[in-house]
Amino acid sequence: MQIKKDIVLFGYGSFGRQLYKNLRSRGHKVKVVVGLDDYVEIESDSAVDITRINIKRNDDILALNVNAFESIFYCAMNKTANNLFLVLTLKSLYPQANVIANSNSNETTRKLKYAGATSVIDLYEATSRRIVNVLTKPAVSMALDEIVYKQNDLKMLEIELEENTFLEGKYVNEIRFRQMGIILIAIIDKELGYELVFTDHRINHKLDAGDILVIVAKKEDISKFQEMLKKG
Amino acid sequence: MEKSKHKLLSFAYFLESSKFYNKIKKFVYDLIENDEYKYKRYFDIFMIFVILSSVTLLVMDVKRHIPHWLDDFDLYFVTTVFVVEYLLRMWVYSDIHKIIIDEYEESSYFDKEVSFYALFRKIVKNKWTYISSFSAIIDLIAILPSYRGLRVLRVFVLFRAFKMLRYTKSLTGFLYVLKNKKFELMTLLTLSTFFIFIAGIMLYVFEGDNENPNIHNLFDAFYWALITISTVGYGDIAPVTPEGRVVTMLIIFTGIGLISFVTSIIVSSFNERLGVLREDRVVQEVGKKKKLTVVCGYGLLGRLVVKGLEKEGVDFVIIDRNEEMVALAYNDGHHAICADATKGTIFEKLGIADRVSHVLCLTSDDIQNAFIAVNVKSLNSEVYVTARCSDQEIATKMEYAHVNQVIMPEEVAGMMGAVYAGEPVAFEVLLSIIEEKEKTHINEIAITEGSFLDNKMIGEVNFKRLRLILLGVFKRSEASKLGEFIFNPSDDFVLNAGDNLVCLGYSTAVANLKRKM
Repeated sequence: MQIKKDIVLFGYGSFGRQLYKNLRSRGHKVKVVVGLDDYVEIESDSAVDITRINIKRNDDILALNVNAFESIFYCAMNKTANNLFLVLTLKSLYPQANVIANSNSNETTRKLKYAGATSVIDLYEATSRRIVNVLTKPAVSMALDEIVYKQNDLKMLEIELEENTFLEGKYVNEIRFRQMGIILIAIIDKELGYELVFTDHRINHKLDAGDILVIVAKKEDISKFQEMLKKG
Repeated sequence: MEKSKHKLLSFAYFLESSKFYNKIKKFVYDLIENDEYKYKRYFDIFMIFVILSSVTLLVMDVKRHIPHWLDDFDLYFVTTVFVVEYLLRMWVYSDIHKIIIDEYEESSYFDKEVSFYALFRKIVKNKWTYISSFSAIIDLIAILPSYRGLRVLRVFVLFRAFKMLRYTKSLTGFLYVLKNKKFELMTLLTLSTFFIFIAGIMLYVFEGDNENPNIHNLFDAFYWALITISTVGYGDIAPVTPEGRVVTMLIIFTGIGLISFVTSIIVSSFNERLGVLREDRVVQEVGKKKKLTVVCGYGLLGRLVVKGLEKEGVDFVIIDRNEEMVALAYNDGHHAICADATKGTIFEKLGIADRVSHVLCLTSDDIQNAFIAVNVKSLNSEVYVTARCSDQEIATKMEYAHVNQVIMPEEVAGMMGAVYAGEPVAFEVLLSIIEEKEKTHINEIAITEGSFLDNKMIGEVNFKRLRLILLGVFKRSEASKLGEFIFNPSDDFVLNAGDNLVCLGYSTAVANLKRKM
């Protein structure tokens, strides 16, 4: 169900490495780009595709030969200034490009967003929430560990409904998701525009092809569900 | 002889084991010496009152005679209070019975006889260190005016005012500053004495032989020199010869220099001391909290965490080695201390043994974090320690040191970034849940005894109507506090008091459910 996109990852510092690891484990193709004199630490057992360029030059970036429509750019350089500059460069070269940048504070996020980053990942925001949760909401923190952080059976994922599934035309309330081992958290209902709606609201959505469901479930239940969707 | 020794020893052991005796001694110690004891304040106020009343009586006595009963009050009550206080301080200063036991055990180890003489000497020596201490001397002098035989002793009542130093912390701080700069101040004192000496002799030589009617002897000349060099200049003695005036001009210049020197030394010393004074106050303020979280490092992550803690109403104190960061935290309105968290002292001050419940090591340096974590764990292994880390290898080492939670910001953010690549919608959901950007939050609700959820099956609860999405339940068990997480429990799952529900929903929906219970 996932779309495997080509990824261009700028920067291979500690954050870049983690991003690379996670992207690879999800089956994406990743091209790593670093500055000419950036220090790169590579584990001996991984074959990372690294290109060195002068990130200040447009020609060098154009020479990477990236299909901007099919790719996602990650700006994960160590220096905020470099990330900001990269976002500006990429956006001016490819106005439609999908650019994700990492930030370390609200202040930087604001600047990156202004520069045109599609989405910004704050390095510390999630971590700080996690730390505070351990102190104040231990159950929440452990539940999030199980669902989000730990590598285990539980997964959160999105599923886009295709044509002619058994869900087509049905209302959310009619379907016993919980009995299938699935918790439906949020939904994008195309009829209501492209806004993400959490299902704790009163609205009873009618499901159509093109709607996107965000669910949490165990792996086996997910595969069962996907089988059912395919059967129609 | 042997018998009395035996008696003494058994009495010492009796005191050592007596709960009552130790409790009383501890209480007295807390009352007069322990700044963190809450009732010490009342003792201090009482003592200040006694001192002030005695000084007031001294002043009143100058012009008119005070009534007899007030004089009695001064003579008997005040004196008794001071004598008792003096003796109590001497008592709690050290434990005599411990000295006796130590001495006896040491002698029996070497098969020696305990000699009364040696024992006596040891005890006297021990108490003498107290008696000869600065504050004890002041205490003793303050008692003296009670002896009415010598009129001059009345002036010692003012030493009672000195005693007040003990009861007010800021004054002690000032004395400490002077003590700290002892060397500089002594140098300046020597220098000024030297100038006064030279200038005084010179003036005496120039004007002493009947030139100046006001200078009768060398003392007058020294007096003049001091008055001039300190820039006070009464003018009761003034030079009359040109030579004398030249001397005056010279020492006026040196005088100005010396005074500004002294001022700058004291001011700079105060500035150095300011941090410590502030630290003392912070320690005292957070000392009132029963459960305290210590945040080490006020960098980018530290600031975010502190913001979260503040929102949730957790009591915390920030430690940072960097003074600028401490100033920043201070300006943000938090309790902050400039200290080295890799050392034990600061944690002991904060009460690592009983008050501190969580320590968060959030500096940007992994090794530093590991160092702090080990430091804390070695002081008290019960404290919950969270450490930030950006290297898997160091994380393993931290786990070996029993750090309760090792968290890697890069890993968390990297995981989230990767989700975006394939599942942008799930990413958005994650972001809003984790960073609480939307109104829908993840929250926990503990089931209370006898509430409408107690002993209910999941199927009987209409979560939809409650506007909540149930993610799972922590079933309470004997083994662990929270129990196991049961994801998406089935309809026939029975809820009990003590279980924790983990739900997604508006905070108002959560509050609503909590209210219902």
